[in-house]
Amino acid sequence: MAFLAVEDQATKGRVIGRMVIGLIIALVFLVPYLVMFLGSVKTKEEILSYDSQFLPRDGWQWQNYTEMWSTPETPLPFNMASTIIISVAATLLVLLVAMPAAYYTARFRFPGRMAFMALVILTQMLQPAILTTGLFKEMLLFNIADTWLAMILINAAFNLAFATWMMHSFFAAVPKEVDEAAQLDGAGKFRTLFKVNLPLVWPGIVTAVIFTFVSAWNEFAASLVIMSTAENQPLSVALTKFIGQYATSWQFVFAVSIVSIIPVVILFFFIEKRLIGGLTAGSVK
Amino acid sequence: MMKKTWRTSALAIGAIDAMALSSCSFSGSGGSGSSSAAPGGSSSSGAAGGEAVSLTMLVPTYSDTKTSVDGVGTKARWEKVVADFQAKNPNVKITLQVESWDNLETVLKTKIQGNQAPDIYNGGAISGFVADDLLAKAEEITSPETLSNFQDSFNTNEKVGGTQYGLPLLASARALFYNKALLKEAGVEVPKTWDELLTAAKAVKEKTGNPGYGMPLGSEEAQAEAMIWSLGAGGGFGNESEITVDTPQNLEAFDEMKKFIDAGVTQSNPGSTQRTPMMSGFVQGKMGFVYALPPTVAQIKKENPSLEYGIAQPATKDGSAVTLGVADRLASFSKDQAKKDGVKKFMDYFFSDEVYVPFIKGESFLPTTKTGATAMSSDETLKPFLELLPSAKFYPTTNPAWAATDGALKSLTGQIEKSPSADVLKQIQAKADAAS
Amino acid sequence: MTITPAPSQGKVPKQRRALNGESFLQAFPWLAPAIILILVVVVFPAGYMIFNSLRKISQSGLDKGWAVPGKKDPDWGIFSNFGHIFTDPNLPRILWNSLVWVVVVVALTVVISLVLAQFLSKPFPGRRLVRMAVVIPWAASVVMTTTVFYYSLDPNYGPFNLLLERFGLVGAEGIGFTKDPALALGAAMIVAVFVSLPFTIYTLLAGVQSVPADTIEAAKMDGAGRLRTYFSVILPQLRGSLAVAVLINIINVFNNLPILRVMTGDLPGYESDTLMTYIFKVMQDDQRIDWASALSVLNFAVVAVIVVIYVRVVKPLKEV
Repeated sequence: MAFLAVEDQATKGRVIGRMVIGLIIALVFLVPYLVMFLGSVKTKEEILSYDSQFLPRDGWQWQNYTEMWSTPETPLPFNMASTIIISVAATLLVLLVAMPAAYYTARFRFPGRMAFMALVILTQMLQPAILTTGLFKEMLLFNIADTWLAMILINAAFNLAFATWMMHSFFAAVPKEVDEAAQLDGAGKFRTLFKVNLPLVWPGIVTAVIFTFVSAWNEFAASLVIMSTAENQPLSVALTKFIGQYATSWQFVFAVSIVSIIPVVILFFFIEKRLIGGLTAGSVK
Repeated sequence: MMKKTWRTSALAIGAIDAMALSSCSFSGSGGSGSSSAAPGGSSSSGAAGGEAVSLTMLVPTYSDTKTSVDGVGTKARWEKVVADFQAKNPNVKITLQVESWDNLETVLKTKIQGNQAPDIYNGGAISGFVADDLLAKAEEITSPETLSNFQDSFNTNEKVGGTQYGLPLLASARALFYNKALLKEAGVEVPKTWDELLTAAKAVKEKTGNPGYGMPLGSEEAQAEAMIWSLGAGGGFGNESEITVDTPQNLEAFDEMKKFIDAGVTQSNPGSTQRTPMMSGFVQGKMGFVYALPPTVAQIKKENPSLEYGIAQPATKDGSAVTLGVADRLASFSKDQAKKDGVKKFMDYFFSDEVYVPFIKGESFLPTTKTGATAMSSDETLKPFLELLPSAKFYPTTNPAWAATDGALKSLTGQIEKSPSADVLKQIQAKADAAS
Repeated sequence: MTITPAPSQGKVPKQRRALNGESFLQAFPWLAPAIILILVVVVFPAGYMIFNSLRKISQSGLDKGWAVPGKKDPDWGIFSNFGHIFTDPNLPRILWNSLVWVVVVVALTVVISLVLAQFLSKPFPGRRLVRMAVVIPWAASVVMTTTVFYYSLDPNYGPFNLLLERFGLVGAEGIGFTKDPALALGAAMIVAVFVSLPFTIYTLLAGVQSVPADTIEAAKMDGAGRLRTYFSVILPQLRGSLAVAVLINIINVFNNLPILRVMTGDLPGYESDTLMTYIFKVMQDDQRIDWASALSVLNFAVVAVIVVIYVRVVKPLKEV
């Protein structure tokens, strides 16, 4: 507990208090997923049983987690791969595109700056679900309907706004002296951005990354109409394949949902440290 | 550090990319014959040269592996049909897409707007597509033998302006399911009229504490419940040329439903009860009466085989026999002759007894073909429904305004729980009028 | 909000201007990737939506020429679809619902997030795990989270009703939370707040983490109390990230479809619809793609107006 030394006069009692409150908060956020998890290890009949119990009554159906990968309803390993590829690529594309724009608009004043920021936020205001037909026609035109590239472009374009605005606000918070010092040292704008600013705005980048990744990960409406081959469809669409006309295999829907949370949590686990990194970086003058 | 992460993820992308590419040649060719095939790993030899024709096929999910009576599920069932067909007709390649009912029309309409409408489509009402001249005629996509093998009533039901477009795929009839144990406990007989049903449902509610009658007026299938009751009063929702919702007969029927609600013999919140979860209540023995259809028999067999239940004709105002029949259809959006010919080959193959009968049995529906009906006449499960079929009335699916009427019935009927029936009927009629 | 091109200056070292006063041409290479992506992907479908709102479209989706008024609709020429939606008796109710929906959800989200972000910035053993737990509603798809809530609240087999039953609060009948307009809308709001929290908390947390430690120390040295330190030192530093978080929340909550569709989807009629859910009912139940497109344009306009007002008042873009 080395950090206790750094921290303000946190007494032992106060730390324990925080742990208790933290536990309660964690529980509140986890409960719905606990329900989801318990559903995923029940039988289909038990999920809709009027005499339901909290825990599986007819034994824990762990095989739901193995069976779901090889149902004829949807090729889940492929759906998983598609989702990962689309989300990762879309996130990288967003960073690549949004970062220079965010930096430049935060640092420099130029004609068209506000117009640009307005254009960017406009894309966020459009709900992709009502644009699906247009998107489908467009992707047919580009001859990339039913490909990963189509969904990478769409996800990147519709998540650009948050990343740009978020990083803009972080770049804007970096003291200008930092840039000036770098430029006096003869650094170009790119160098100033990557070597000097970037380390200072990690929290903003991390937030933008998570936001973009998660939206791409869970995108449904456009994928549904643009990805027609079962193997190309992302998990969000694959889930619906277990929904029948008069009966639904909820155990699989829940199990797939649980599994699809995991990669995001892993991503988060690895980049969350960067949020803390911002603490020290921010205090460096 | 960051650089390394990026490189490794790029490598990972490359690897998966290669994996997907290698499977690309298979994708869409439908699954292999064995249902244990790994996803995507089907084994079609592809188009074998010549004048090959590629068809697209869009169908909804009726059941999945876990919910179908034979453990196959709609997708695997179609994949087998397609694979067997392609084995016999190497020149015709069919790309199958299966979506849930919820998403089917969204996907279809997007495809139509993108000029990618499927060559083979399985769905509900098609009159709107006929109005836009999008469909191939039935005679272009089947041989005369196949066409004349459909039962006449089903063929008639597919005709718009005297021309047939859809091919009746499967049918169902609604019947009154009752829980024998609860009826015995309540000491009531199987009802034939509305009054008897109300009395019986009241007795079940009072003596057993369970809802007497399950009335699902939520958006899932309110149109079916509404239609059964309307038919019971001699009403209905119109015909090919006219949608009639706001009629005295329908008002009588809606008022009768209200009577059931007000008497407290239904489950709570009937206006917002969805059919599927409610039905699972009946299957679990928690309800006196419900209207259900053949797949429900399969569901009971799978989920609660010990349930003692019976099947009777729907209760009507005067006890006469009438029921709601529903037929889903196959249709084709093909424009050019080569594709129509390919579709014709497929339809003739599919509707042959060897292919068609196992398909219908697996999905627990009623057959629409004459020879199919003969082949399945010995099926004990389907018997009560086959007997009801002659008295079945269908939705006016051939009316172009039906789709909007159907939508209005789904989203507005439930309001009778709180509003006067007359107002609700008027609202639905207005929606129908706006669409015609 | 004013765009004032700074007068071009000679070399003025060590002055703020040194970093300002760029021309658009100089800026363009930095913005080009974003502009190209937007032009390539977004412009066409957005234009298509606007175009469709002026057309008559058949129920199968075919274009039938310029819009014509319906039998009972006012004749607004090619704007007839708008004529229809603006005379729709359901519209006032739906706009009102949308407004209440956005205000309540965003306000609750922001207040709760501020508290939780502050809490999660304090060190304590296990903080990382709590942070991981908080992120899960974000990681899960909104549809599935909502479905689980819907399932939990079911009167017959929902675990939440079972819980109430175990505590003797309700009978075996349960409460139909999703069957009554007021209850369903309330439940939907709780779900919306729940799924908006992680994103907002993290945005704020990122902001809190960027507050230089010595600034807080300085405030403490001056003898400022906890609350005072928070309101006078931390909160102003959060302004940037808070402003963006609220903006994105407003837009996303306004445009949210799955939560209301699932939670209020069982209810007949239009009593609890927002613009977004209404658009889908018009599209799927009434089969009117043209009216739905007009409503979508209206929806876009409403969001745009809200955003413009917000940007004017809050000024989330710092003037450089």
